[in-house]
Amino acid sequence: MNRPTLSVRDLVVVVHGREGSRRIVDGVGFDLAPAKVLGLVGESGSGKSTIAKALMGLLQAGLCTVQAGRMTLGQTNLAALTEKGWQKLRGREMSMIFQEPLTCLDPVFTVGQQLVAVLRRHRHLSRREARDAAAHLLGTIGFADALDLLASYPHQLSGGMRQRIMLAMAMGCDPAVLIADEPTSALDVTTQAQVLMQLTALGRERQTAILLITHDLGVVAQYCDHALVIREGKIVEAAPVRKLFEAPTHPYTRSLLAAVPTIRARRHRGSPRTLADQL
Amino acid sequence: MTGVQIWTRLKTNRGGLAGLSILVVFLLLALGVWLGWLGQDWSRAPGGRWEPAGSRFWFGTNVVGQDIFQRSMYSVRTAFEIGLLVSLVSTLLGAALGALAGWYHRSWVDRSILWLKGVLDSIPFYLFVAAVAFALEGYPWAMHVAMIATFWTSTARLVRAEVMKIKGREFVLAARAIGLPDGLTLQRHVLPNTSHILLVQASLSFVAAIKTEVVLSFLGLGVKDGVSWGLMLAESTQEVLAGHFNNFLAATLMLFTLLLGFNLLVDALQDAFDPKQVTR
Repeated sequence: MNRPTLSVRDLVVVVHGREGSRRIVDGVGFDLAPAKVLGLVGESGSGKSTIAKALMGLLQAGLCTVQAGRMTLGQTNLAALTEKGWQKLRGREMSMIFQEPLTCLDPVFTVGQQLVAVLRRHRHLSRREARDAAAHLLGTIGFADALDLLASYPHQLSGGMRQRIMLAMAMGCDPAVLIADEPTSALDVTTQAQVLMQLTALGRERQTAILLITHDLGVVAQYCDHALVIREGKIVEAAPVRKLFEAPTHPYTRSLLAAVPTIRARRHRGSPRTLADQL
Repeated sequence: MTGVQIWTRLKTNRGGLAGLSILVVFLLLALGVWLGWLGQDWSRAPGGRWEPAGSRFWFGTNVVGQDIFQRSMYSVRTAFEIGLLVSLVSTLLGAALGALAGWYHRSWVDRSILWLKGVLDSIPFYLFVAAVAFALEGYPWAMHVAMIATFWTSTARLVRAEVMKIKGREFVLAARAIGLPDGLTLQRHVLPNTSHILLVQASLSFVAAIKTEVVLSFLGLGVKDGVSWGLMLAESTQEVLAGHFNNFLAATLMLFTLLLGFNLLVDALQDAFDPKQVTR
């Protein structure tokens, strides 16, 4: 399968506030290759989610604008897309999953209805075909009782199950790029491992390029191939994960790594230092 | 949510079934009037003044000797025309305008709809209805138009707020992220989440429409050619003073039963529509 690469250069996002405009993403660039996982790490407010929304064309109109930069997916220039063009692209070429699995599914429809709607929209299937495809999809995500699950409402499922259903929905049309915006921050650690394992396994299997946004360096170490460290809208360090952890070059990366509490650190200092102390 | 699912859930609710049967009986009566099988002699006066209930006049007669049974049957049709029409149209109109205003919050769409709502709300209701009634003189739907024009505003206000709330929820963003156009997102994901408001508003405006009709008919602004429970109540004010309660009782009990049935049904529907009530 020959998948296009998502390529971003000099991305600038400006937010228009009452006191003038401010660059919240400033000159970000990276390539997202098929079957690879790129981690985007940074603290809250560093512009991680804004980058994700800019890539999907989901920035709130009138509040934020993409001012400069080049975003291409294979031959498609994303910056020049109309809303119609985005609608064709979203869900089919590029998908996204969000942080809160609790609110990502519409509470008044069953899981099946929502999955079937997505599949029918992009793959032009009949109702029956879409239903079978939905059941099959849940099977590949590792749900044994797919039919039961299709008939349930979101509130009947746990957070982990909902996030895996979101994953199934996002992967339903075999997108070239999957953006996962803190997909496991709301889940407990064991569920987190399960969801992330499925996410990365699916990505490898289907040659999907994954942008994994997180603030958890442990997640980056375990699941990403490359990592970008971002701070105040700027990339401070970009490196293969192994290199990032063994020899971080930027002081901010080093302080991020040092901020992860370890047993030994506690023995030496009494309590782990906060990030603010170190800056 | 499909019709079959809703019906299976409604079936288990006794109050809802009772309400539904009451409504069906009334609907059949109204149908009988529409088809000309029932209540056609509402304006003739075959009897004497204030005859008691009996085999000839089931509910007795009124002051001019008209058959109260015939009149209350004909009024079922009037009530349905007013209650159902006004509640359905005003709720749908309120839902549509409220959803547009909430979805395009702070745009010119929102501002124009709010302006219109503000203008309509600031006119005293009966003054407005009287104005419409005079403006549309001789036009039998004047009262309906006036009620619809004023009733939609409260639904619109509630739906607007709810849509603004739902718009910020992540499933709406998620719907966009999987490529659903704006209009379809509003229609498929936002509006269904306001169904609880719409049901309540529909039932409230059904009741309000019938009650308003009573008041307007009493004032002479209501039903022009035909009879309604409101007109019967207006007549009965004189009769009750003279100690004759047939007209009064017939109109009130019919009205009460219909409203009770309607409220029971809507209550049950609200539960049936709520996915959180599914137990497995």
